[in-house]
Amino acid sequence: MARPGDAAGRRPWTLHRGNALLLVPPGLFLLVFFFWPLLRVMARSVIEPEFGFENYARVFGSGPYVRVLWQTIETAGIVTVLCLILAYPLAYAVARAEGTRLKLLMIFVLVPLWTSVVIRSYGWMIVFQRQGVLNDLLLSLGLTETRLTLLPGSLAVHVGMVHIMLPFMILPLIASMRGIDHSLLRAADVLGAPPHRRFLEVFLPLSLPGVSAGVALVFMTSLGFFITPALLGGPQLMMAAVLIEEKANVELDWPFASALATTLLLITTALYLVYLRLTRGASPLLGR
Amino acid sequence: MADPRTLEILPERGEARAPASGASLSLEAVEKKYGGLVALARTDLDVRPGEFFGLIGPSGSGKSTLLGMIAGFVPPSGGRILLNGTDIVSLPPYRRNLGMVFQNYALFPHMTVAENIAFPLRMRKLQRGEVETRVRRMLEIVRLAGLGERSPAQLSGGQQQRVALARAASYDPSLLLMDEPLGALDKNLREEMQYEIKRFHREIGATVLYVTHDQDEAATMSDRIAILNQGRIVQVGRPRELYEAPATSFVASFLGEANLFEVAAVSQSSPPRLRVETKDGLTLSANQLAHFEAGAVICVRPEAIQIAKSAGAAANVLSGRVLDVVYTAGSLRYRVEVAGGRVVLVRRPLQRQAAVMEVGSPVYLSWDVSDTILVPNS
Amino acid sequence: MSGTASSRMARWAFAVFVGLCLAYLLLPSLIIVPMSFSSQSYLSFPPAGFSLRWYQGLAGNSAWRDAAANSFLIGVPAAFIAVALGTLSALATERGGLRWATAGVALIVAPMMLPHVILAIGLYPVMLDLGLLHGYIGAIIGHAVIGLPLVFVSVSAALRNYNPALELAAMTCGADRVRSFLHVTLPMIRIGILGGGILAFATSFDELMLSLFLTNTGTRTLPRLIWEQLNDFLTPTIAAVATLIFAFSLLLLAALAVFGRSARGMPTSLALATAETAAHG
Repeated sequence: MARPGDAAGRRPWTLHRGNALLLVPPGLFLLVFFFWPLLRVMARSVIEPEFGFENYARVFGSGPYVRVLWQTIETAGIVTVLCLILAYPLAYAVARAEGTRLKLLMIFVLVPLWTSVVIRSYGWMIVFQRQGVLNDLLLSLGLTETRLTLLPGSLAVHVGMVHIMLPFMILPLIASMRGIDHSLLRAADVLGAPPHRRFLEVFLPLSLPGVSAGVALVFMTSLGFFITPALLGGPQLMMAAVLIEEKANVELDWPFASALATTLLLITTALYLVYLRLTRGASPLLGR
Repeated sequence: MADPRTLEILPERGEARAPASGASLSLEAVEKKYGGLVALARTDLDVRPGEFFGLIGPSGSGKSTLLGMIAGFVPPSGGRILLNGTDIVSLPPYRRNLGMVFQNYALFPHMTVAENIAFPLRMRKLQRGEVETRVRRMLEIVRLAGLGERSPAQLSGGQQQRVALARAASYDPSLLLMDEPLGALDKNLREEMQYEIKRFHREIGATVLYVTHDQDEAATMSDRIAILNQGRIVQVGRPRELYEAPATSFVASFLGEANLFEVAAVSQSSPPRLRVETKDGLTLSANQLAHFEAGAVICVRPEAIQIAKSAGAAANVLSGRVLDVVYTAGSLRYRVEVAGGRVVLVRRPLQRQAAVMEVGSPVYLSWDVSDTILVPNS
Repeated sequence: MSGTASSRMARWAFAVFVGLCLAYLLLPSLIIVPMSFSSQSYLSFPPAGFSLRWYQGLAGNSAWRDAAANSFLIGVPAAFIAVALGTLSALATERGGLRWATAGVALIVAPMMLPHVILAIGLYPVMLDLGLLHGYIGAIIGHAVIGLPLVFVSVSAALRNYNPALELAAMTCGADRVRSFLHVTLPMIRIGILGGGILAFATSFDELMLSLFLTNTGTRTLPRLIWEQLNDFLTPTIAAVATLIFAFSLLLLAALAVFGRSARGMPTSLALATAETAAHG
């Protein structure tokens, strides 16, 4: 009930008053345990062993490191494109399915996702090793005469990474495809569009938000990926995260590792910002 | 206590009303601006205790903003909102002790009907026994007794509406806000619910502020109506007043249908009467009592016009040709073209014996001087 | 009509393509399970013989038991922290009327988008300074950081999916902000919170990179032990571990499906949030 003391002069009550306070605990947490560590890495790259950009000179100098960075970007790109090509038809099939067929297909997509990455990469090791499944198959079909050394190798890395990343491309695509209003497709039919035109001019453009979310997710994840390239790539196809881990954990060259990490961070952040700008913050990856 | 308002009530609405226990509501200089955009201009309004007060207007007229400020969701940019004399602007909604019925009912889907109605009572820390008694009473009042254990999803639209009513009023608030509560219902159901809500209002005795875009609904249910347009209250009054004496041409055409004519020139004629020439080139007769002048607007209601094959002896007669005739439930609606290409709307009740004027037939339109209404501000 | 013949062939080709993709998706998982029952001590496929010796070996091996225990000891608290902080963030950005909401969201989701290796080598010195290095708390915090965005996305989606007027209605009924949250908002987003929590746990359970830097032999998690074993000894023991983890993951997935059945609008958004699990090894 209104109390006599509540006279005019006090500011009107607002619905959102104090809501910003809710962000304080998570904000502090992330500040201390996410942003501060990132800053420390960046700082270390220019403070140790001496002030200056010596570490970066080494990164971009005549050594193999630029090649590693380049390979990382290249591999990430190839993996993304391959994922898109494979995932789009698959997502289309799932998006159109109903009932038991839908559940079954979703199981096919979700089960690998929920299987540990380490384990799946291990599975690919078994496939590609000299005594492995693929060599057995090739020999028995008579396609090769000796056992091929595919592991470590770039084919193994690509196949393995595409396998791991595929669900991450499929799910955003499914989500966006299922969100397409069927009456739009029916309108296209009524207006006389043949199936392929209907697909190209109505369905495809409407599925683009899912495409961009999937591409962004797969590409950025592939850039920083560790397990699969570590197990399947070896020195032949080394990716940035593997190199950084080695420099830090094995060689204990932290300043240099920090420089490499900062470079990777800047590349990934640039892509993140581009993605944010393109989608104006309205992306399923962000929950909105 | 002889309430002067009860004398105005038409027979079908008039049972002796319970003594008003509703709150008085006053808006003083209340306004809402979003940056440069004025959602509601400085407004003053007085709602009397126990009144059923309608707020109508087109979309964007500010009625929802007004309701939102009274409820507490929208902070006013200025002014005071007085509930029983106390300014509530700095109070959150949960301390204003009002009830609200939302457009889509906003029933809590994870609670049963009874739990929904009990919710505000629990928030006020009433005892279990008291809560149960009140819930049962409310269910009886809205005639949903026995459905307490259902979930809202299992009820029809009309039933959900009644649960929303019950929940809003279960703790006897002195002010009830209703935001287009019947918008989602089909026509027959809506009329039935209008009756239910009025009956509810009489039993509860609270003051009701009822927002709707359906002016028929507002006219049927309200004791008084405020009509808004573009963020301003244009006119306040009883439905009949608004209909018979609209303050502006907007009110004239918003509430019911209107034939509007602009005055070109005025002169005297006999018997003491004004001869009005309109800008369309028509000549009409009006009462001396009104102050007509060039530039004013005249309103003639379609229901006031007679249509016949021969000219009658009425003061206003126009000859014309029927353009089309439409049957609506209970009435005929004619569009008649008169001199100067002007189209006049005529609405006649549908009677078995009355002849229907056919399209294309020449007809005469006639009406009384008293039905030539002056609209003060255009 | 030639149109139908060619479109039928196209449909057939499409079906074959999809089938091959599905096989590709399941292949490695299906290889490992039979392998764990092999009677030989080298990795081969198809496995030779049938034996449960690797599972029996696991039962007696304290290293694996400890690692599994550690995974839970770290994963469960990390999930709880992620749930608490992620839900708060989602409430603030979805209901808060904040002006910089989009920027805030981008920052909150960043741990999910940026490579974990950078966070790992950044958290190492921070934990060292705090004296939490190689202990449980340090690892829990690290895992909570990467779990937070998952909960955030899941709860945000749940909040978007239901009518904000419900909270307004609660307030007109006399519930203040805390009580309208407890009685109205929370029951409605319960599924989103739960789903996000399970995802956060699953992510932690599968997280390798952070564990490499933040744990030691005493606190190491399952992924880290597997990693060490993979580089050193390649026996079907790994396959047995992998199969068990696989079974456990399926259980989690099933639990999620059971809870998700009663929620509307959750499947696609949750599936989407699922899309962020465990890849950042």
